[in-house]
Amino acid sequence: MSNDVVPRANGGIVVPTNSNLTFWGRLANWTPYRIFVGLATASPRRQFLILATFPLLWVLTQHLGPMLQMLRVSLTDAYPVAPGVEQHFTLDNYKRFFEDRIFWQPFFRTLAFASVFTFCTLILTYPVAYFLARHVSRKNQMLMLLLILIPFWVGEIVRTYAIMILLGNTGAVNQLLKWVGLIDRPIPFMYTSFSMGIGIVYLTALYMLLPLYSALEKLPKSYNEAAADLGASAWTRFRRITLPLTIEGISSGCTLVFLISTGFYATPVLLGGPSTTVFAETIAGFFHVAGDEWPTGAAFATIMFVAAMFLTGAFQKLMNSLRKGDTK
Amino acid sequence: MNRGNRILLSCVYWAFVLYVFVPLILMILMGFKDSKFIGFPIRSWTLDWYTGVFADAQVLSTFGYSVAIAVLATLVSVVVGTWIAVLLEGRKFLGRAVIFGLAVLPALVPGIISAIAFRIYARWLGIEPGMGAIIWAHAVHNVPFVVLVVMARLSSLPKSQTEAARDLGADPFIAFLRITLPYLVPAILGASIFCLLLSFDDFVRSFFLGGYEPTLPVLIFAKLKSGMSPEINAIATVALILTAAIGIWAERFTRRMNKDSKA
Repeated sequence: MSNDVVPRANGGIVVPTNSNLTFWGRLANWTPYRIFVGLATASPRRQFLILATFPLLWVLTQHLGPMLQMLRVSLTDAYPVAPGVEQHFTLDNYKRFFEDRIFWQPFFRTLAFASVFTFCTLILTYPVAYFLARHVSRKNQMLMLLLILIPFWVGEIVRTYAIMILLGNTGAVNQLLKWVGLIDRPIPFMYTSFSMGIGIVYLTALYMLLPLYSALEKLPKSYNEAAADLGASAWTRFRRITLPLTIEGISSGCTLVFLISTGFYATPVLLGGPSTTVFAETIAGFFHVAGDEWPTGAAFATIMFVAAMFLTGAFQKLMNSLRKGDTK
Repeated sequence: MNRGNRILLSCVYWAFVLYVFVPLILMILMGFKDSKFIGFPIRSWTLDWYTGVFADAQVLSTFGYSVAIAVLATLVSVVVGTWIAVLLEGRKFLGRAVIFGLAVLPALVPGIISAIAFRIYARWLGIEPGMGAIIWAHAVHNVPFVVLVVMARLSSLPKSQTEAARDLGADPFIAFLRITLPYLVPAILGASIFCLLLSFDDFVRSFFLGGYEPTLPVLIFAKLKSGMSPEINAIATVALILTAAIGIWAERFTRRMNKDSKA
């Protein structure tokens, strides 16, 4: 089989042989490789199957698998199953959620907190993104964006700790206020929804800033100029042009920040107090104790996931309809 | 009017810069305080906390453990993510949207839920909590970021380049290895650095899937729960410098590579 491909020297003409081919040439002429390629590319269909099989298996078993397994465990009465015990399917784990205030209260608190923190992040970062995209030269834009990026490479725990030092009773803010003479006794910022909010906004601001920035950057300056020529005031221009045309950025930024804030565990534990228990702590509680609480934890995590997906989905729908309504 | 706006907005920008930098700077300063008590003002300074950290075998081995986990998890996510991206980009087939949705799913699942789901799944697969479980969870969680970055880069590769290679006799594998893959290198490197940082900084998955040996964020968390001390500041500062340096370097590096390949 390889006889008709390997060129031979004849009549003194030098033709390439295996010895002076590049690595790639030698690979292409290597019999096992040729057989493999021949088999793999016999038809476009087979080629596609070879390309697609591994990714398909991976996303099904590794990405979807854990979620489905969580759903399955949430419907059982015992997990992990002890030897000799029969496992039954039940909805009791979901019922438990509605039965006790200490379960559903943190759930609604989490959703409320996440919504408020998302809104705060939006208000805080929109002017920053606007300034970068509209008022700074191209060259400086990158530098100034990079400057903001640096703190966001630092991990969640380290940044949470930094907030603890900032807001503690002997923290920088309290000491500063005392030194200025505004207060005599430190304000107890820590272990409240305030400290938690500062921490979560600090951790998520970038995920809002980047979508906003890229939406604002795409917006042609001429739109605003045209509106200004037609006599629109700055506020009208913002409300009628900038805001509607950056709704996509707002929508994806808010979705990201909302999903991330509902998932925080360490930050509420470190910055929050007993009155700010979030659902993540409730869920985690079922996994610290003996295994028989796992199904309840799985059910609660499922409730949280479905609620978060539903709310962000509805939010995106709303934003989309707003955008369409405005451009008509 | 416009000028006033501009000045106001630039004040907001610099206030935001202060907001993101000041907490970290204060935390770094506190690591040099010559007292066990965390709080201001700082009256005398010391390097003892740092010498203590570098002499602490547990902290050093935790650093090594975290770095090893990050590197191994990144290798897995880069290979898998690139493969998925190559399948999805520029191809139309039945179920493409579903595969794309599933491919980015781990990035959308809130942290605690993802950690719980991985914990349950690891138990089901028989993976013991520990290094292997953490690497697996980090790898799966980071795949979406690789997919998105590589797909974006791949969409700008002119189709004519691979077609030319095919016309000249390259089979699909060699065309991929010699044309597509070199073109993807900046994206793959950028995504790798991002995955390294995500994995090194990750707390919630490491916490729920870890065995007795803590990763660095888990160690800091455990120390914080038993009380604040400048020792934690020293550990956190070393971690901070490491991650920020890698981040800045990667940013410059990928920018330069993107520029080179465009020119």
